[in-house]
Amino acid sequence: MSDITTLNGGSCIAFKGKNCVAIACDLRLGNQALTVACNRDKVFKITDKTYLGMTGLASDVDTLRSAFRYRLNMYRMKEEREIEPETFAHLVSSTLYEKRFGPYFIEPIIAGLNSNNEPFIAAADLIGCLNFAKDFVVTGTASDKLFGMAEGLWEPDLGPEELFESISQALLGALERDALSGWGAIVRVITPDKVIERTLQSRQD
Amino acid sequence: MSAGAGESAYSFSLTTFSPSGKLVQIEHALAAVSQGTTSLGIKASNAIVIATEKRAPSPLVDDTALEKVSVICPNIGIVYSGMGPDFRVLIAKARKSAQAYWKIYGEYPPTRVLVQEIATVMQEATQSGGVRPFGVSLLVAGYDSARGPSLYQVDPSGSYFMWKASAIGKNMTNAKTFLEKRYNDDISLEDAIHTALLTLKEGFEGQMTEKTIEIGIIGTSTVGPVGGSGLKAPLFKKLTEAEIKDYLAL
Amino acid sequence: MECSFGITGKGYTIIASDSNAARSIVKMKTDEDKQKVLSDHLVMTYSGESGDTLQFSEYIERNLRLYGIRNHVELRPRAAASWIRAQIADSLRTRNAYQVNLLLGGFDLPTSEPALYWVDYLGTLATVPFAAHGYGAFFALSTLDRYHRPDMSLEEGLDLLRRCINELKTRFIVDLGTFKVRVVDREGVREVKL
Repeated sequence: MSDITTLNGGSCIAFKGKNCVAIACDLRLGNQALTVACNRDKVFKITDKTYLGMTGLASDVDTLRSAFRYRLNMYRMKEEREIEPETFAHLVSSTLYEKRFGPYFIEPIIAGLNSNNEPFIAAADLIGCLNFAKDFVVTGTASDKLFGMAEGLWEPDLGPEELFESISQALLGALERDALSGWGAIVRVITPDKVIERTLQSRQD
Repeated sequence: MSAGAGESAYSFSLTTFSPSGKLVQIEHALAAVSQGTTSLGIKASNAIVIATEKRAPSPLVDDTALEKVSVICPNIGIVYSGMGPDFRVLIAKARKSAQAYWKIYGEYPPTRVLVQEIATVMQEATQSGGVRPFGVSLLVAGYDSARGPSLYQVDPSGSYFMWKASAIGKNMTNAKTFLEKRYNDDISLEDAIHTALLTLKEGFEGQMTEKTIEIGIIGTSTVGPVGGSGLKAPLFKKLTEAEIKDYLAL
Repeated sequence: MECSFGITGKGYTIIASDSNAARSIVKMKTDEDKQKVLSDHLVMTYSGESGDTLQFSEYIERNLRLYGIRNHVELRPRAAASWIRAQIADSLRTRNAYQVNLLLGGFDLPTSEPALYWVDYLGTLATVPFAAHGYGAFFALSTLDRYHRPDMSLEEGLDLLRRCINELKTRFIVDLGTFKVRVVDREGVREVKL
């Protein structure tokens, strides 16, 4: 019950499409069964074409968000270029593994297009074990439900609009059955020339 | 005063500004470099070649053990002029730095990032107490997805430059003049290797053979799998004696 | 049994906390001020482990004051909240972490916006229109959900606070007594009687 990985609740999902990727999250921040806020975006912009979603202990999400901001700014200045999503995934992994024996209680997912505009998604566990998936990745308190929804709704080579539709349905479906996630959602579809960002209404219970 | 503080308080940097604004220790280090054997590097249209003269101090030395061109990581190699022992220290630090980068990012560093790391090490030796500057200049050849093939020179002061072609060590002035005349922007790797050999030949003392020179290349023609990733990328490659012999025969 | 509330409205933030100093089941004091005025436009309520609350809130208070003296400008609410959160988050992974829950109420002069931040002992920071800590949260949040509007006048805001406290009076088994209430707006921080 008082498990810190599920204390705050929240979920994220990412889909790979054809020349595009989508990443979405719910908006709830809770304290066990009590909802504290419903404006908690769990997906963060890393570069114009790479996004990071983090679920788990909200405090660690904030801490890691600033840790990554620091590391990315240093990377940008040192290398005079934007980080590739593949490289960023490794940075996430090594940052988490630094705290192998006293981990941050978060599970990240990464979605982006690399410099050749090839779609890339990845997920990791709380100590940074990477999973380079070909289709979709999920994380958070609704992850088990998201797996089921994604398994049924994901199909290969979806375009940006179809991808938006299927990831939205997968997320909203899973939120219905998870008490610790919900209260609205944000979906981002990353395409070579723009990022489509839409806020979804969902049941407010 | 605590124990040891007395000693460290007087361990000033040896590299101290002269009234005219020079750091003479660095100039002496450069003098040590220019006594070293000639090394050069040339950037071809899609590759880099670095080469050096390798001279054994005595015919009794087994020259198969001499190595002046070193691999730092799969995509970067370095050649030096100056003091061999100092070079070894830098190689060890550069290799460690490349592996540390790999541990974080899952890929090897771009040439410029590694060059900056080495340059930082060399600069620290000009400002720290109890040390002397490194008595070497380096030519760093690398290939990365960000900038393609690139050639850098790093000096004892810690300054670094990106070159299309450069030479260091004994005869560097002549060699550079020679390179200036021969260089153009779109030479092939093969042409660059020949230019390198011709340039080395200019000031060469004694017979130039596969045993007395070393050549390293990297470019789109030296592609291979990197580490265990299975991904293919240009790899730094030292030419074998047989390969050098073939180039010399042409 | 500690309880604190925060409500933002049109150009102001209200911060309220109960005034009890209790030890186990014994009420030791009923006029305790469990708030710190951190700067001209920032006020904080604190609750939690009794020794930690005072140590931590004074640490925060002194450091924000120092920032003001050094830089001739106060930290804006967002920045202060972020820094305070980081202090709690850093302390969380030590052997004896501060067990302190905070509400930060402020008024951001550059944007003329009221600001309210909910911070718990884990270092969780939430930007919210209204907030509550303690058992009061279970009783008052639904009331706040129902009646809160971002454009409420100060009198409406105070009425809403009264409603919340009244909810506790009728449904909570413990009587929390009187609440200490402060309002932050463009003019600064002031105490108000309910």
